[in-house]
Amino acid sequence: MNAPADISAPKAEFTFGGSGYTLPTYPFVTPPELKGETPARYPIVIVGGGLAGLTLACDLGLRGVPVVLLDEDDTVGVRGASSRGICYAQKSLEIFKRLGIYERIAAKGIQWSVGRTLAGNDEVYNFDLRKNAAQSDSEQPPFINIQQFYIEWFLVERALQLPSVDLRWKSRVTRCTQDSDAVHLSVETPAGSYTIACDWLVDATGVHSAIRKGFNLNVNPAKGDDRWCISDVRFKHHPPIERWTWVEAPFNEDRAVWQHLMADDVWRLDFQMDPACDMEYVSREDVVRERLQRQFGPDVEFEIVWVGPYSYRSQCLDNFRHGRVLFAGDCAHVMSPFGARGGNSAIQDADNLGWKLALVAQGKMPARLLNSYDEERREGARQNIEFTRRTSRYLSPENAAEKLFRDATIALARKYPFARALVNTGRMSSANVYPASGLHLGQGAGKHVQNVALTIDRKISDLVALQATRAHKTLVLAFGSCAAQAAAYTQALHGAPTDVIAIGTDAIDHQSKLAAQFGLSADGVAVLRPDLYCAGTAQAVDAATLIQKLKAWFA
Amino acid sequence: MKLDAHFTDADGFYEALLDAHKDLSAAQSAALNARLILLLANQIGDAQILRECITAAQNTH
Repeated sequence: MNAPADISAPKAEFTFGGSGYTLPTYPFVTPPELKGETPARYPIVIVGGGLAGLTLACDLGLRGVPVVLLDEDDTVGVRGASSRGICYAQKSLEIFKRLGIYERIAAKGIQWSVGRTLAGNDEVYNFDLRKNAAQSDSEQPPFINIQQFYIEWFLVERALQLPSVDLRWKSRVTRCTQDSDAVHLSVETPAGSYTIACDWLVDATGVHSAIRKGFNLNVNPAKGDDRWCISDVRFKHHPPIERWTWVEAPFNEDRAVWQHLMADDVWRLDFQMDPACDMEYVSREDVVRERLQRQFGPDVEFEIVWVGPYSYRSQCLDNFRHGRVLFAGDCAHVMSPFGARGGNSAIQDADNLGWKLALVAQGKMPARLLNSYDEERREGARQNIEFTRRTSRYLSPENAAEKLFRDATIALARKYPFARALVNTGRMSSANVYPASGLHLGQGAGKHVQNVALTIDRKISDLVALQATRAHKTLVLAFGSCAAQAAAYTQALHGAPTDVIAIGTDAIDHQSKLAAQFGLSADGVAVLRPDLYCAGTAQAVDAATLIQKLKAWFA
Repeated sequence: MKLDAHFTDADGFYEALLDAHKDLSAAQSAALNARLILLLANQIGDAQILRECITAAQNTH
């Protein structure tokens, strides 16, 4: 189905003095439908090869589920552009560990630890994430900064290794309809047009989705008057390897400025603009240059890699499932970039949908399981929009009282640690919790479980690796006295797509972190979903009841 | 939320509050109050009690 991938030959190179990045391109291959073969009926088609679409394709490929991905372009990222998302949070990194691209991301990306918040000419406070390292139980770091196109590129190369994934480039969907039996697509390619039908369609085509518009679905748009201008640049002599955020920057008319870093020594400077500014003017190269000289001095040497203006906006679909069509990523929800919630939530969408879609496509679960994708990820989007709206309100006080309180937080934060919690320069994306999830078999349901270290076969390993040894299925983890009952649980769950793990035998929790992740003491049983979420726990005395509930859930 | 007096020295607190505002402009008083509210809110901490206090203040003007 695919040509073998050569992962050792990176083609994207950045050259100082050049015109930015040269992105890898992928060949159009004439599909069977245009070779006179009978059009096939596909179980799953994904449209759009961005973070959501590619993550989902890899996840389904890992589960051996046949999937076709249609992308209208033949490359990753935005043609000629450096990047959009630059920061990938722990939950995303855990997902990428499962998909097999985490090591490449860690090798290419940047991990920073010192952050400084400034106002006026001096610092309000600073932090060093290494001092908080013990607070995290995950094998992955809190985040890695790297250009979005690198993630997409690694995902494409991973997908090319997975035989059930059929990537189709230069394939533009021109029509999409559905009836009770199937979704029907018209696809335009350089070799002509064809139609295909599928059981399930995942729309991952981004904010301007023509598929979503074609179904005339309500996205509840909200716009603010806050204006920003991103400038990605490469310096000849770079600033300190730290994240700096100015709430009020003297070199930007006392408006906010973000200074982040990413791979290849490229820096992101994000400037808050006058709400009445002309966005085209502030994005002009000479205006961007002058702004950077005001910040770094007249002699600063740099090259502009990418300029991207934006204004605050949010929108969210009423339902992420529309019959046989599912929406993931920006086409389902949009929020401002604060906290890197756009790209990271698209990755979480795909992670939530992958295992559910696989079980439905394989006939192991009824289609209504997909309603839980809508419930959970729409709740995630609601949380993300709320977080970004609060940051936006802090950075753009709407009246004198809001400015008064912001001044108070800054004045107090200079002296007292408590007030630093109120200074809101963005709250980093984390795994959304689903408190009202319908997938509720017991205590702790809807809570994310971190990828803790485990010992498997006498080797240091982790929870994600344990899942891989069990085909990424739902797992029943039996702790303490319950571990001795593992064989009985396995018998009770006969025929269900799940495996029982005796902790202490099949895997050793050598740092005693796993049970605590579920809120259990030494004894008990926990059901771990394939997306590293808890579906329910029980103390030893109630373990058999939880097992029966799980069996009934799969029945 | 406590609605009965909880002060160890109600008159003493009130006088200290007035003294802190003495000779301040309206803008300086407003800024002092904002800082004071945030300091006091952190002493309470509990989200539910803080919400009840905001509502009670809104409903007594």
